[in-house]
Amino acid sequence: MTVIEHPIIFTLFGLPVRDTVVFTWITMAVIIAIVLLLKLLKPNLLEMILEMIIGIVDDAMDVDDLHPYIPLLGSLMVFVLVANLISIVPVMKSPTADINTTIGLALVIVLSVHIYGILKKGFWTYLKEFASPIVLFPIELIGQVSRTLSLAMRLFGNVLSGDLVVAIVFSIIPSVLPIAMIAISMISGALQAYVITTLAALFISSAVEINEEDQRVKAEKAARKKLKKLRKELANGES
Amino acid sequence: MENLSTEAIVVIVTTIVAALAIVIGTMIPTWVEGKACEKAIEGMARQPEAAPQLRTAMIISLALLETASIYVLLVVLVLLFANPLLKLLGG
Repeated sequence: MTVIEHPIIFTLFGLPVRDTVVFTWITMAVIIAIVLLLKLLKPNLLEMILEMIIGIVDDAMDVDDLHPYIPLLGSLMVFVLVANLISIVPVMKSPTADINTTIGLALVIVLSVHIYGILKKGFWTYLKEFASPIVLFPIELIGQVSRTLSLAMRLFGNVLSGDLVVAIVFSIIPSVLPIAMIAISMISGALQAYVITTLAALFISSAVEINEEDQRVKAEKAARKKLKKLRKELANGES
Repeated sequence: MENLSTEAIVVIVTTIVAALAIVIGTMIPTWVEGKACEKAIEGMARQPEAAPQLRTAMIISLALLETASIYVLLVVLVLLFANPLLKLLGG
């Protein structure tokens, strides 16, 4: 099965380079070429695509300022979309049909969730909220690992199953029927790009959201302290 | 059955188990996804103004439910293309 095997194409400074890496480079080149062409010919269309991505991220996230998150989430969405759709070109294989690519993407997402949380709240506050009932801390850690794995497996399995079904149908009936399967795998590829962006936005949003109850309690405590101080000063003044 | 080698028996049993696993493992998640879709579309029909939020929530939960059948697919692929039991017999 050529869909599953990943042969070594050439070695670079003694490192073997498999075909997935080459297809990832081609995907990046395609994205850059499309963006440059659109910027030259139709800047309005580029703006519309950006507005659409911002709309999708804005639906999923519940934060005031979207600016720090758009570069990561937007490029994630564009990369996954082009990588899923590029397998319709005959010699190409999707880079996301290899588990190494998807695990890399999932690691980037999960690490960036924590980095955004630490940048927003500060290291100790974030750690304190992350392990707030200390009994649940190991379960939270296991949850992080399984979140990474499930993000990677979902993308990999969906893309690989689409490509595999196309290959199997093509080996049985090579005429018209594979077109329908290719259409289905294209739809599911676009949907997976949407889903992985939305899930990453949800994870980041849950990491950076400020706990309103804590904030309220803190403000109440400060107000009470101020009141006490004022009363004391008043009593001192009277006596 | 006596003239079959151990490897042949392993291959036959693995193939049958893989076929059963993919049938059951896609049937149940699809059924549950159908129930989820049914409820979401009922909600959309009752409150058309809440349709965008319902659609987003439906697609995300469908993707999460789909993960179960993807796991089955991966296990079946490992059984069919990189069978660890055959390696155990050979090595």
